[in-house]
Amino acid sequence: MTALIQVRDVSKAYPGGMLALNRVSLDIRKGEFVFIVGQSGAGKSTLIKLLYREEVPTEGRVIVAGKDLTRMRRLEVPFLRRRIGVVFQDFRLLADRTVAENVEFALRVTGFNGRDAKKAVAQVLSMVGLRSRHSAYPGELSGGEQQRVAIARSLVRNPDILIADEPTGNLDPDTSMEIFRLIERANRYGTTVVVATHARHIVDAMRKRVIELRRGTVVRDVRRGAYDD
Amino acid sequence: MRYTLVGYLVSETHKSIWRNRMSSFLSCGTTALALFLLGVAIVISLNLQYIFTDVQSQPEIQAYLKMETTDQEAVSALKACEAMNGVAEVRFVSKEEAFSELREMFQDKAAVLEGIENPLPASIRLTTFRAEDVPGVVEQLKVLPCVEDVIYQEEASRNLAVLGRVSQALSLGGTVIVGLVAITVIGNTTRMTIEARRHEIAIMKLVGATDGFVVGPFVLAGIVLGMFGGLLGAGLSIGLYNYLTTSLGSILPFIPILSLTRDTALNITGILVLTGVAVGTLGSALSLRRHLKV
Repeated sequence: MTALIQVRDVSKAYPGGMLALNRVSLDIRKGEFVFIVGQSGAGKSTLIKLLYREEVPTEGRVIVAGKDLTRMRRLEVPFLRRRIGVVFQDFRLLADRTVAENVEFALRVTGFNGRDAKKAVAQVLSMVGLRSRHSAYPGELSGGEQQRVAIARSLVRNPDILIADEPTGNLDPDTSMEIFRLIERANRYGTTVVVATHARHIVDAMRKRVIELRRGTVVRDVRRGAYDD
Repeated sequence: MRYTLVGYLVSETHKSIWRNRMSSFLSCGTTALALFLLGVAIVISLNLQYIFTDVQSQPEIQAYLKMETTDQEAVSALKACEAMNGVAEVRFVSKEEAFSELREMFQDKAAVLEGIENPLPASIRLTTFRAEDVPGVVEQLKVLPCVEDVIYQEEASRNLAVLGRVSQALSLGGTVIVGLVAITVIGNTTRMTIEARRHEIAIMKLVGATDGFVVGPFVLAGIVLGMFGGLLGAGLSIGLYNYLTTSLGSILPFIPILSLTRDTALNITGILVLTGVAVGTLGSALSLRRHLKV
């Protein structure tokens, strides 16, 4: 079966010559749950950004859902991103909109009509356990709750892939575990998950596929791995 | 889906203008000023056309006689004119006849001429066989002792054309300069809105909004500001023109001034609004290109 995500001999150099990734190759199949681990500066975030075409590689190819992102025209990028949910450490919520409005935002800006959007929002808020807080503003929520809103926003379009870059970097261990249980639940429903993380205890507890990067190179790729060797 | 998109565009455009209302007001005002000047250029142009037509309808050459000219002197001048080479027709217009023509011309403003002593001189009106004969006839008329002044179409047309070109150049120059300022100010308003919404725009792009969807409200805001600027500029230029023509018409009834019909006013408004829309679109588009890498 063809992999959902194919990274082929990818290198990425930033202006100034800093080499963030060096000839990285990997495949991720549909439905997989993958942790990307490594020290700060190892190239995790760069790899993540290549997957939703926030960056393009200097060399090599990135193919997602059959689309070669290195050759993708700019006009096609929004349609790729509608198939990918992205979650960040800093939540990236709109402070002047309620929980429901933040989640609905992802639908509205891609043309979903009000009634369908509201139904989808209610469903996803139930899934992340925030149905009762739909009218609250981000400032009234805890860090964990804010991240759950961000996850709800990334899942409301029922994406093929969920990408998370340090999703629990600002959260305590218990809350982090809750967030990962939520992400795992999305994975059980069929969403392919790629998470860059430093959360050692979670990686060790979940025993999923682990890809370790060191100075821009893949040094380890194990099926049911731990944070360290 | 279409309704949602239109609703979203309208709502975001309104927000974008309201959030930066001072800057929006400034953009609208600058555009209005630029288009007011364009409106002035247009009405000057229309008036020149009107005056040209008026001049064309006048006799080819008019020789105004000195006020103290006697009947005998006038008759000998008339004979001298008839003897000139190239002259086709000659007609004497007495002071009374000239005043009577004036009364007829301004019959709807008769009150203005009431009680006024006839200020007009007698004149001799001539036509020539060929246009080339005009300068020679004018030269001969000028040396006649009882002739005060000679007016002929070519000179009047030339003077009007120079006056018209200067005033049009000034108005159009002003339009271009203030128009560029308006484009910059609208661009600046757009930039401020982009800065205020940068976080939101980043999320929009992240969740798959198209470039058109992201930039739509900004362009629409520019169009709305330009359109209101155009309406304001049209209102100002047409309003001021109507005020001036009413005032000047009673003070200087001898000057031919065009009264704007409803259709002409509507046409001017249309031109200014469309120009305003172009200015708004250009201002916002240039700013988006520079400050929003979509």
